Formats: sequence, C-alpha cells, structure tokens
Amino acid sequence: MKTDRILILASAACAYPGADAVGQAHLSYPANTFVLRVPSPVVFPESFYYDSFEKGIGGIIVMSCGVECPYEGAYEKLAARLDRVALGLREREINPRRLKLTSICTVCTKSFLKEVTDMNKVLAAEGVAA
Amino acid sequence: MNVRAATRVFDTLVIGGGIAGLQTALDLADLGLSVAIVEKDASIGGKMIGLSKVFPTLDCASCITTPKMAAAAHHENIRIFTLAEVSSVVRRGEDFTARVTLKPRFVDEDRCIGCRLCEYACDADVADDFEGGLSSHRAIYVPFTNAIPQIAVLDPEECNLCGKCVKVCPTDAVVLDQKPREIEIEVRSVVVATGFETTPMGARSEYHGNEIANVISPLTMERLLAPHGPYGRVLRPADGKVPDSVAFVQCAGSRDRSLGVPYCSRVCCMYAIKQAMLLSGSLPFADITIYTMDIRAFGKGYETFYHNASAMGIEFVKGKVARIDEVDDRNVEVRVEHIDERGQVEERRHDLVVLSLGMLPAADLRDRMPIGVSADGFVTVPKPTIEPCRTTEEGVFVSGTAAGPKDIVDAIAEAGAAAMAVSVYLKKKEPEGCAACAVTAGSDTP
Amino acid sequence: MSRDEVKIGVYICHCGGNISDRVDVAMVAEEAGKLPDVVISRTCMFMCADPGQELIAGDIERHGLNRIVVASCSPSLHETTFRSAVVRGGLNPFLYEHVNVREQVSWVHASGRDATAKATTLVRAAIARVRHHEPLSPIKVGASSRALVVGGGVAGLRAALDLAGFGLPVSLIEKSPKLGGRVEGLGTVFPAGESGAELIRTLVEQVSAADEITVLTRTHVTGATGYVGNFSVTVSRDTGNSSAIETEIKAGAVVVATGSTPYRPVEGEFGFVRFPEVVTLPDFLRILDQARSGGALTVNGRSIRRVAFIHCVGSRQIEGIHEPKPDCSLNLNCSRVCCTATLKAGSDLIERFPGTYVYDFYRDIRTYGRGHEEIYERASADGVVFLRYEVGAPPQVTEAAPGDAGSMLVTVRDSLTAGMEIEVAVDLVVLAVGMEPAEVGALAQTLKFPSGADGFLQEVHPKLRPVELAVAGVVLAGTCQSPRDIEESCASASAAAVKVAGLLTRGYVELEPFVARVSAERCEGAGACVSQCEYEGALKVVEAEVDGQTVRKAVVNGALCTGCGACVAVCPTRAIDISGWTLDEFEAMVDAICADPMEVAGD
Repeated sequence: MKTDRILILASAACAYPGADAVGQAHLSYPANTFVLRVPSPVVFPESFYYDSFEKGIGGIIVMSCGVECPYEGAYEKLAARLDRVALGLREREINPRRLKLTSICTVCTKSFLKEVTDMNKVLAAEGVAA
Repeated sequence: MNVRAATRVFDTLVIGGGIAGLQTALDLADLGLSVAIVEKDASIGGKMIGLSKVFPTLDCASCITTPKMAAAAHHENIRIFTLAEVSSVVRRGEDFTARVTLKPRFVDEDRCIGCRLCEYACDADVADDFEGGLSSHRAIYVPFTNAIPQIAVLDPEECNLCGKCVKVCPTDAVVLDQKPREIEIEVRSVVVATGFETTPMGARSEYHGNEIANVISPLTMERLLAPHGPYGRVLRPADGKVPDSVAFVQCAGSRDRSLGVPYCSRVCCMYAIKQAMLLSGSLPFADITIYTMDIRAFGKGYETFYHNASAMGIEFVKGKVARIDEVDDRNVEVRVEHIDERGQVEERRHDLVVLSLGMLPAADLRDRMPIGVSADGFVTVPKPTIEPCRTTEEGVFVSGTAAGPKDIVDAIAEAGAAAMAVSVYLKKKEPEGCAACAVTAGSDTP
Repeated sequence: MSRDEVKIGVYICHCGGNISDRVDVAMVAEEAGKLPDVVISRTCMFMCADPGQELIAGDIERHGLNRIVVASCSPSLHETTFRSAVVRGGLNPFLYEHVNVREQVSWVHASGRDATAKATTLVRAAIARVRHHEPLSPIKVGASSRALVVGGGVAGLRAALDLAGFGLPVSLIEKSPKLGGRVEGLGTVFPAGESGAELIRTLVEQVSAADEITVLTRTHVTGATGYVGNFSVTVSRDTGNSSAIETEIKAGAVVVATGSTPYRPVEGEFGFVRFPEVVTLPDFLRILDQARSGGALTVNGRSIRRVAFIHCVGSRQIEGIHEPKPDCSLNLNCSRVCCTATLKAGSDLIERFPGTYVYDFYRDIRTYGRGHEEIYERASADGVVFLRYEVGAPPQVTEAAPGDAGSMLVTVRDSLTAGMEIEVAVDLVVLAVGMEPAEVGALAQTLKFPSGADGFLQEVHPKLRPVELAVAGVVLAGTCQSPRDIEESCASASAAAVKVAGLLTRGYVELEPFVARVSAERCEGAGACVSQCEYEGALKVVEAEVDGQTVRKAVVNGALCTGCGACVAVCPTRAIDISGWTLDEFEAMVDAICADPMEVAGD
C-alpha cells in the first residue's frame, strides 16, 4: 500500500482559491497532493479521517478559512473535532502529525507551500514518502 | 448559436461586439430586453480576445473573454451579426432604423460546421493580422482558435479561385459568389461600443516604428506572449533570435499635442508592466527596461503590481526617448534623455523594442448616425460625472472605450452602467405594461 | 439510477498549451477512456470556447451521455460555463464534475510525468464522484422587489435613482443628517469644473421626486440577517432626542455605497498639526470654495502668497520606507483622484488669486482620465512649479527663519533638476491625502463581507463580476470598493444597480441547491444534527405519522440552510448529507486517489 499521498481538504471560499493562487503565481510543489474542494471541512465525521488513513492516505491537511469561515461556528466545531481525531489517531498508533488543521486564505500562497513541505517532511520521517 | 432568423426588431442595437458591447448586451438581455449586436469583424471578442494575460490578476484574457462571448452567443435574448457594419441609423419618431451591411463571408453561416477542411485544402497563404502578421493563415480560414462564431471566412483578395475548398467542404458551405446584403433593424435604443484602435506605429517618425523589424507594437507582443501565439514563445521577428534585452517606450503615441493625441491613453503603463512581468517569466535572464515619464498605476491593486515588477528586477528609467534607430545585428538603439537624478542623455541598445501605443477611437459614426463627437475624437458625453453613458442624442448611449481610453476593468463597469441607463430610458418611454420590465411580486415595506 | 445506465463523457482541455505543455492530455484521456462506463474521452484545444462547449452538448445527444467530467482550469472560471453546456445538451447541470488540472496541476508541477500522473488520478476521482451525482434544481424563493441602498453619497444616489427609474422600490439610508456625501464639499470638480454641490442638488432633487424611493437620514444599520431575495436589515434612526427608532427593512438586495474617508496624516507628518498652515486637500478645497476671489487667499487670518502641494500623502506607501499605522497597515495603493484634484486646485488658486505661487511636489503625475491631461497642461500654463521627489526622499517641512518669504520651508531633492537640493518658503502646505475605506460597520459584520488587504470591500472578480460581493444579493457602488472619481463611482453604481435590477425584476430568485437533505428512511429523529445547526429555522425535528406510528424526523428549510455541513458529521445513522457534496462522493474520491497506481515522488 502506498502511503505517500497527501489529501488536502480545502474550503471552497478560502483555501481552494488559495491553492489556485499558488498556480496563478506558477509556484511549484510536489505532485503527491490531492486537493478536494469542500464547502466546509466541518462536513467530515471523525470516521472519514480514520478511514482515509486506513485506505492508504499518508497525510491529511485540512485547510479551512479559519475564523474567516463564512459559516457560523463551523471552524470551532471543526477544530474541536480534529482535536478528538488526534487522540483517536494516537489510540490507533498513527502519528497525529499526519493530520494538520490550518487556515489558508485566497492569497496565502506561501502558507500553502509551507504546509505541503511540512507534511512531506512528516511523511519522510515516517519513512512512508517515496 | 441563438438566431431568431426572421426577427429584425429589438429593444437595443449594440454597435460593437468587444468586451464592453458584450457586457452591455448581457446585462440588458438578463433584464429580458432583446439585443442585436453588430460586429464588423468575423468574430466577436474585440481586442481583448487577442490579449495574452490581463493585469492586475494575470488571468488569461481568453479565459475571461470566452465565457462572456459564449454567454452572449447562447443568450436567448441576443442576436449577433458578424462581418456586419452599420451604414446608417435614422431616428423614426421614438425609435431608430438601422441599416446594416452584411459583408460577404463566402461561407454559408448556417451550413459551416467549422471543421477546417477548407483551410487545410487551401494553398494561398496570407499574413495573419490576428497574430500581428507574424504567422500566416490560408485565404479561407477560421479567424482564430476561440472565435465565435466558429465558422470559416474567405478573404477574396487572396483567394486564387482554385476551388479546392468548395470541393472538400462536407456541407457545401463555401459560396464563392456571395454578395454583400443590406438589412434593416428596428430598435428603440442604441449603444455605441465601437472601441479603440491603437495609435499608428509610425506616429513619431524619429522612432522608425514602421521601418525597424525589431520595433514592434504592444499587440504583437501580446501575441508573442500568448500561450497559443504565433511562435509559442518569445522570439524577435527580424531573425527569430531569443531576445536578451527588451525595452518598452512609454507614451509612444499619447500625451503629445503634435501627434493629435494630447490625452493619456490610460492603459499603456499597466500593459507594459504586465508584458515586462510575463517576459521576465518566459525569459528569466533577459534585461527588461521601461522608459517612462510617469508611471500611472492608478487602479485597484495596480500600484502593488508595479511595485512587484520593480522587485522582480524590471528597470524603470524615468526619461524621454528622443529617437530610435536600427544598429548592427538588427539591434535597436534607444536615445534617452533622463529626467531622473542623472539628468543626462544616453544611448542604450536592445534586442527588441515595444512602442507602447495609445488609443484612438475605432470609429467616427457622425456621418452615419446622430451622435456628438468631441475634439479628442471620442463620443461626447455631456455630463460625464453623474451620467457617464449618456450621449448628446436621446436614446443613444455609449459603452467602453468609444467614450475615451480605459482599461478592461473600467470598461466592463461602464458597460454595466450603459445597460442600466438604456433600461431606465426604455422604461420611461413605455411606462405602462412593459412585460420585460414588470415587477411581479415581492414585499413593499419600507 | 442503476450502475449499468451510467454513461460518462470525459473532456481534457489543452488550454492552448497551458495544460498540455505539462500534462500529456492524450494519455489522460486514454486512461480515463479505459474506465467502466466512460463512453467518450476526448481532448480539446479550448474547452471553454464555443466548439468545446458544443462538443459536450453534441456528445450528450449523440451518445446518450448522462454524466460529464471536464478537466480544465479552475472551477472558479468555468464550472458554470460547462454546466450551461451540459444543459444545452439536455442534461441536468449538476450531473457534471469539474477537475482543476491547470491551477492545481500543470502550473504547479514541473515534471510532465508527475503532472500527467496526478491529472490522471484526479480525473479518475472525478469519474468516481460523478457517478453519485443526482439531478438537482435551484431553490426558488420569493424575493422582495425592494432594494436597500446603504449610503447617500453620489454613488448611493446614482444607484437609488437607477433602481427607481427601473420601477423598483428603494430604501436609501444615510447615517448623516443629509444626503450628498463628500462630493458636496469639493467645490468645483474635474473634469468639467461643475459645482459638486450643484451635482448633488440635481441628484437629490430627482431622488426626492421619485415616489419609489424612501429616504432615511440619520440612520445606520445595526444588524442584518437573511439571504438574497430576503434580507432583513435592522436600522436605527437617530431622532435627535435621546431615543433612537429601530426599524426593519425587508429587501431583496443590498447596494453598499458606504464610501471612503480621507487619510488623516499623523502628527508631524509633513508638519501636520505642528504647523497650523499644513492642511489636507479636502480641507483646502473647502477653504477655497468658501473664499471670495481676488487679492490673496486668507487662511487663519494670514494672507497666503506661496503654497506647496505635496502628493501621495497616505497613498503608494512602501514597506520599510513609510511608518505603518498603529494597526500595522500601510496604504500600498494609489488613491487615483488626488493628482488631478491637486492640479486643478493649484490652477484654481492661481486663477482666482493672481500672484499666488504654487509649488507641486509629486512622485508621478497621474492625470489619466478623459479631460485630466488638459488639467495638467492648464496647471503648467498657469505657472505651477513642479518638483519631483523619490519615494525614499520625501519633502521636509520645517519652520522658516525670520526674514524668509513664508512661515515654513519645504526642502526636497528635485529629480527634475538632476537631484538638486531645493528649498521653497511657503505660507501654506496642502497635503494630497489618499482615500481609506469608510467603516461599514454592523452590515459588514453580520453579513460577513470580504475585504481585500487594502481594507476596501472585495469584489468577486475584477472583470468577471466586478460589482458583486461574494455574499449573493449584495453589490458594491462607489469608493467602498476602491478609490475612484465621481464619474467612476457613478459608473460602478449604475453597474451595481443593473445587477440588482436583474435579480429583483422577476419577483423570485434562484438559490444554489447545495443544502442539507435528510433521508427519511435512515433518520431516527435523534436530533444530533439540530444541536449543531447555527441557523435559526434551517433544521428541526418534527413528528410525523408513518404507517400509523408517530415518528420523529429531521426536516430542512432549504432557503435558510447554508449548506455548511455541520449537521452531516454528527448524524449517527448517516441520514443527512449536503446535496451535491455527499459523504459517499468524498469517500469515492479518496478510494480513487488511493487505488490509482501513482508514479510520483514525494519530494
């Protein structure tokens, strides 16, 4: 099973356009990154994260709008959920650093690149990156 | 494409199918008003569709223009006439009658499927104006990749009448004996969106714009930079060399009374900066210089764009270019009078020079319709401050660069304003029972 | 729809080389074509152009396709374009899936092999997802035909008049005691030298005469709820007594015309506050407007003979050179109107008070508009003396010595005279201050308006949707969006008005169908979802009769649900989903991403 893939759950209002901005600036990052556009990552239940790792995803970066989230209270709920998932990952003996919550805005190109680089370092340390 | 074949009665005639005309037409059509767009070229899209990328977002111009072109072409309330020219607009009571000449395309618009078999069969090569003359197309051809309508047109001047196109056409669409036709369109209002042309390359004789092969126009540079342009990369036209040093000469056709263009053309600073940035992307080792008196980066986000260009290493030289000459190896020498702290005269050599041309009105409609034109050649707007789209004629409005130079952002905003002005005018003319504008429901509490 | 009925069409765009220079589009199409139920898999030079769109529509008819996938640029550019093409082919627009292989593949991955592999995987994931798509219809909600215009300056007046002229009822609110905004105080305005007060009088008279417009002055917004077609905005009207009257305005759309404020220089900036004769341009225009011509202009009882104008005060700032404000912000942008306004003021001053010397300290002269260059020429002809400074060496304003010709000295290294140090004695310094966004307040906070880095309200896209805010039904007029002159403010106000007219003329608006929906079979009425919902009335548990038994089921109000999905994550029986964004779809995509043999390196 390959585990070097990074799943990026990107909010449609902020992080997804942020990822587009990286492209518009013709900046470069590794191609093991798969961005899923989602209205808000608050939609995913805890099981989605466990299942994804189970299926072979190496790392998950949840890119939300943070406090700028257009949906009332969604960010707080998301953050609380990911705290619980982090505990659940420890129980499953999965390095919780393979899951990251971050805020990316529509022009956050540098932050986007940094998150991808950081996650690849985590994966390399785990010995799972190709 | 939506064509209501027999209908020749519309709420509004929009003259010009560039970005301003299209936006005005779309906004009107969304209000339920019927619109005829009359476009002189074989495709709608105007100047914008020929650009590479556009400032300050660096979006690909085609990606912004094509959705609007397609939306207009598919809108049930819009009818588009291409290769069509307004020969007269006459007031008839409250309304107008427009006579429109449909120039022969030599291809049946309803039959052509845009397969280009005619183009592949044709032997006659013609310099391609859309590509700045840097490449060629056949005498029968689809105007460019994303043209709308996507159908062929034949250039009768260049056709050698070999008849191959007629034979290969799978739909018998080629009609070599097509004649110009006159049609009449009845409308209740008119929007002039005739756009601009660039000032001539030869305007300043001391720049030798028409004589030196490696002195080019900004529209040619747009095509060199376009991902689907003539060479697919930036090469200088004279010898195909990859340029190591490129210069832009600002105000090459504007801000000079002696040229008859005393005004600022408003876009040249920004397009030069944009082209310089794109160049430094495709030619990372090239030296890029912009000779300028003032940099006018006034729009939203423009100053940051300018600042970024400086930070990327593009050199801004404050100075007046006195003359431009061809020197050895087809290089170009620019004589500049510095107006910065150096305060001296200097000769500098470049591989390629772009003359940042200004804007002239593309059409003078005075002899064809009731409309006022000002000394600068653009449509007169009697009260620009609070009625920016009203002309001297009741029922006639203006949109985009027909009322003076402006960039795409401003032209599109003004195009929306023109649509609003037209719809309010039509509402006033028809106070009761206008189905198109009826407000049908909704609360009315203050 | 059972699985064997699915017929998928897949289209990969070259984007004229933008994609195909990196991604082997033919190979992506070939790989996609091998997948089950993919009937057609093609490439095209420009999918967004007419032939590309027609290809989709035609293939749907020819091959009976019922699912479409297009891999091209970002969905922000062309998702709606292709949805329309799908509709023209006779399909529901939501049986469509968009893959972004330009901004997120070809433009960011240098290796063609990696880019091709990733594009292939993303297309597979999209194919996996599109199978789950179901036909969706927009939610139709009745809309109030009333428009609310917030701000009674020139842009608000223009927008209100346009909407009223179109026949829509308008509420125009203004926080100050009278309509007119800043234009009234400008004296005469460029390009034609009309009186600003006269322009405002013209517009206000028309507004007063329009039956459709209800004007509320001394009124500000205290909060807003609702959505396009059905906004409910509470406003508070200051009655002059201690009590304020709160009213609710129901409106289908909101025009934001809250304007801008002039930058206020900090103490000591070009001598501001330190010298009483250092004033801002708006202050100077008021002084000039009220002064009687002839002789010498008098300010603070002193007769003014020599005046310095300094451009770009609080505009075009640069990090590391300019002092940031207490909130660490700088105004990086040009304020657009100050050059022409300053030159006109200089000329007016000389022409009305002959013998006055005017010195103009500038960085670049930006007289860009129609009729503006003539104002520059007029200033030169009137004898305005121009001195040019570099951004790192701004003019210094100091106290003059006794015996000097003025009360202050302005010193500059003038690049027009090869960097000569020049000292000018003056009686008055006018600072051409930039524009800053005015406080929008409760309206922006409650409806969550996005602003750009410059603090001005941010349009969706400067060319595609230049006057619309991301909040549906809210449009921008005038300088709340960015600095602009009267003409440009009125143009944007009318452009904003035409969008509102288009929205409200039918009496209903259509909303996106991406809201929560409940599976009646799966829902057990536990109510975990309701506890997560932040939107009053969007989700509730009701009792229903099923087969003679009373059961509890969650129900959704589609007009109030925002589709955030907070409810989805907590449902113990997976009974609730967001239409068009179901968990099944996301899981199918993850499966496809994991299953695909991928030949790319991590780093």
